[in-house]
Formats: sequence, structure tokens, C-alpha cells
Amino acid sequence: MVHTTMEGALFEPTLYIVKGMCILDNDGNRILAKYYDKDVLPTAKEQKAFEKNLFNKTHRANAEIIMLEGLTCVYKSNVDLFFYVMGSSHENELILQSVLNALYESVSILLRRNVERRVLLDNLDAVMLAFDEICDGGVILDSDPTSIVGRAALRTEDVPLGEQTVAQVLQSAKEQLKWSLLK
Amino acid sequence: MSFKRDKKEEEDSGGNPYQNLDKTIILQEARYFNQSPVNPRKCSLILTKILYLLNQGEQKFSTQEATEAFFATTKLFQSKDVMLRRMVYLCIKELSTLAQDVIIVTSSLTKDMTGKEDLYRAAAIRALCSITDSTMLQAIERYMKQAIVDKNSAVSSAALVSALHLSSTAPDLVRRWANEAQEAISSENAMVSYHALGVVAGSRKNDKLSTVKLVTRLARAPLKSPYALCLLIRLAAQLVEDDDSDAAQPYIEFIECCLRHKSEMVIYEAAHAIVNLRKTARDLAPAVSVLQLFCGSSKASLRLAGARTLARLTAKHPTAVAACAVDLENLISDPNRSVATLAVTTLLATGAESSVDR
Repeated sequence: MVHTTMEGALFEPTLYIVKGMCILDNDGNRILAKYYDKDVLPTAKEQKAFEKNLFNKTHRANAEIIMLEGLTCVYKSNVDLFFYVMGSSHENELILQSVLNALYESVSILLRRNVERRVLLDNLDAVMLAFDEICDGGVILDSDPTSIVGRAALRTEDVPLGEQTVAQVLQSAKEQLKWSLLK
Repeated sequence: MSFKRDKKEEEDSGGNPYQNLDKTIILQEARYFNQSPVNPRKCSLILTKILYLLNQGEQKFSTQEATEAFFATTKLFQSKDVMLRRMVYLCIKELSTLAQDVIIVTSSLTKDMTGKEDLYRAAAIRALCSITDSTMLQAIERYMKQAIVDKNSAVSSAALVSALHLSSTAPDLVRRWANEAQEAISSENAMVSYHALGVVAGSRKNDKLSTVKLVTRLARAPLKSPYALCLLIRLAAQLVEDDDSDAAQPYIEFIECCLRHKSEMVIYEAAHAIVNLRKTARDLAPAVSVLQLFCGSSKASLRLAGARTLARLTAKHPTAVAACAVDLENLISDPNRSVATLAVTTLLATGAESSVDR
């Protein structure tokens, strides 16, 4: 429910802004989730219950932001993936929104714009690294997608072209063509 | 070829390669880390599976199992593959709270932290600080000070954020790094500047006089990073709240000046602070008109931010909010339910009969 308490009127001067980030699939199951505050949803059981509730309230309405169980959650979805960033209800919503944008954009670049569950699972390690580059223990570490990806996506660069199979080269050429047509 | 067919079938069923992972099988797979030379792809996949299991949180690792996995992981330090090394750091961080004797990787991480590869350095600092306790901190203090002022922004940010985490367990030690952090506030890199301000402000939390100095100095030469500015507004607002005399006037002027910043995040931060500080409706006017504008935004988070701050204001200044009645009425049918609910409750609280009828 919506909280309109008067206490904590000013925002607290802290760097610990993000309470959690998660990616759910289209059944509301967790693909990746991190919670950064020991006092907020401390056990996996509470976290998953919260995620279910969050998913039920958000998967049909693409409304960008919701107040739930004392947390402000900003979200975005694509095909069969749901991205969430959570913060305290006494927090600047637009800062949370900037973290969500960083998360979504970074993953989107990592997956070469194919933001869907199967592609994400194929690149789960890079997405885990991106999570780690965006937020460290609740502190926003970086919010620039290109620099986040620069630090998380190292595999494609370190495979020289000669070692890629013909099929891989063809596949990436096809994808590039597809996206240049769709733009 | 058969592998390809398997993959195809998996795609068709939308299969999840991580779906039916079993803890004991993965721990067995981790023994593969002992093989030399290391196969980066294969090992990275096994690490991903371990991390996935930990992340799902359903199959709990016992201390013994976590320690076993941790020690297996340390074998991978012999590989130079960047991606694999980064996954190793991630595993170290995740297992450090569950496993025993995690400090054995201290020397490997210190080596990476001071080495040549920048991509290792930043991540190694963060992993190292997550396994280090306050007694061992002195041994790496010299490196931390250097890293804070490093010209690579990722390294500098990693050291600053780690210092911030460590300041809850070893505040006195971290306070000794304040000079380096102070220097980093003026960094060209927005994130470094933000993290440095956080460390410096944190170290002065109980020292009002030096907080006053810090805020006064920075308010005159505004910071480039929107995040850092938001933090500075919060610090300034706190000073105003503690001391509402004329001495606070420069801080108020600084916050009001931020209403004209180009970043929405900063504008909102300033408006929110003013609405919660100023006493008379006239002083509030510039902030209220900003919030009023937010209510008409196409972005839901802006509408919510605007409506929520106005809703809080109703208790103190119903008249100031009543002036926004038309904007709030437009939000009653907002597709975002949180926004619509806020608008309705706020309008009821301001209690203009005309709007209740509609």
C-alpha cells in the first residue's frame, strides 16, 4: 500500500540507496536477485514471497513504479523478462530509476538487444558481472551502461576472429543486418 | 552435431540449463578446477552454476561444502583468462560469508590489486576488502591509500566504496584515508567524485564543524556528478534543519539554485528538501511549481515523485497543495495505481469541496 508517513521527511545523506535488484522470468520465478540490506527481506523465503507479490502486482500493468511493502520498486519488462530495482520508500525515486536504466541498458547491450530469457541464460555469467558492477553492497558503483558493459563483457573481445567458427560469424552478421533493418 | 541438436531441443522447450542443478553434483564438478591447464569456458560455466545455486538460496551450503567449493575455486588463480578471473572474484565474495579460512586468498588478491591489469585491480580490491577483517586491514592500508587516488576511475571507485563498507567495522582506520578521499572529490570522473564525497562525509558524521566547512566549500564550486549533488543537498538540508538561523541562508540558496539544474534527479532532490524545510508558503512556491510540473510528466516515476512529495506537504501547508488541485485531479485516472491513490488521498486531505464532487 501507499505509505504517506510524515517521519523521515528529509532524505537521509547516505550512499546506501539500493535495497535490492532482481530479474524475474514471465512466471515470476527468480533468475537473479540481490538484496543489500540485512534488515530488508533477510531470508530467501521472505525474498521469494516478496518477488511473487511484486510480480503479481506488476506483470500486467506496465506502470514503471510501485510502492510495495514499504519499498519503492521501479521496473521494466521486455518479452519474457522483468527487471526490478528496489529502494526505501524514503528515497529519491529518480535515483532508483537511473539504476534501473543502467541495469536494463547494460543487459540489453550484453545480449545484443535480444532481451529475452533464453539469451540471458546463455550469458548468465556476464549478467552476473554486470550486477556486480552496478551495485556494491547497496552503493551505486556505476550507472553508465557502456562502462558497465566494458567491464563485464570481456569474452567476445578476447576471442580473436580467426578462432570464431564460420557459423558464429554468420550468426552475428545476420543479427546485425536484422537490427539495422528494424531501426 | 549431436550437441547442436541437443541445444535446438532445449531452445524449443524453452529449457533452462540451470533448472535442475543439484548441489552435490556441482560440488563434484568443482573438482575439475584441479586440472591443468585450466579450461576457462568450462570452469566459468561451473562457477556460474555455483553462483546461480547460491543466488536461488534454496539449497543451503554447509560450512564444509562452502569451504570445499571455495578452496577448489582458488585453484583457478593459475589461469589468466580475464572473464574467469572475474567470476572467481565473484565466487570469493559470495562464499566468503559461508566458508572457513577464506583469508588464504589474501596474497593472490593483493597481487592482482597491485598488478598491471586494470580489469583485475578494481574487482580484486572489492573482493579483498570483503574477506579482510580489521586486524588484517593494516597490512593493505598502503595499497588502499594508493588505490583511492589512482588515475583509473574504476580502481579509485572500488577502493572508495570498499572503504565506506569497512568504515562500519574499522572507522578509525578508514578515517586515516580521508585525505586521499578528499583529493578524489575533485576527480573528473562523476562516480569517483560521488564515492569520495560519501567517504569524507561519513568520516565527519559526528563532527559538525568540519561538515559545515565541507558543505560550504563544495556548495560554492558545484560538483559535476548529479549523484554527488544529491548527496550534497542532503548534507546541506541537514545543516539547515539543525540550525535554522541566518547562518543557514547560504545553504538554502545553494539548494534553491539546484532547482535550475539540468538533471531531473537533482531538481527533485532540491524541491523535496525545500518542501520539507521552508516554513512559509511563499518560500515554498518555486519548489511547489517544480513538483507541479512533475505531475504532468510522461514518466511515471516523476509523477509519483511529484504527487508523493505534495501529499506529504498537505499536513503542513494545505493551501500550497490546494493550488495544485487541477494537476492532482488529472492524476486520479492515472494508469499507475500508486500515483492515482496518492492523488485521491491528497485531494481528500486538502478538502476542497469542488474537487470532492468531481
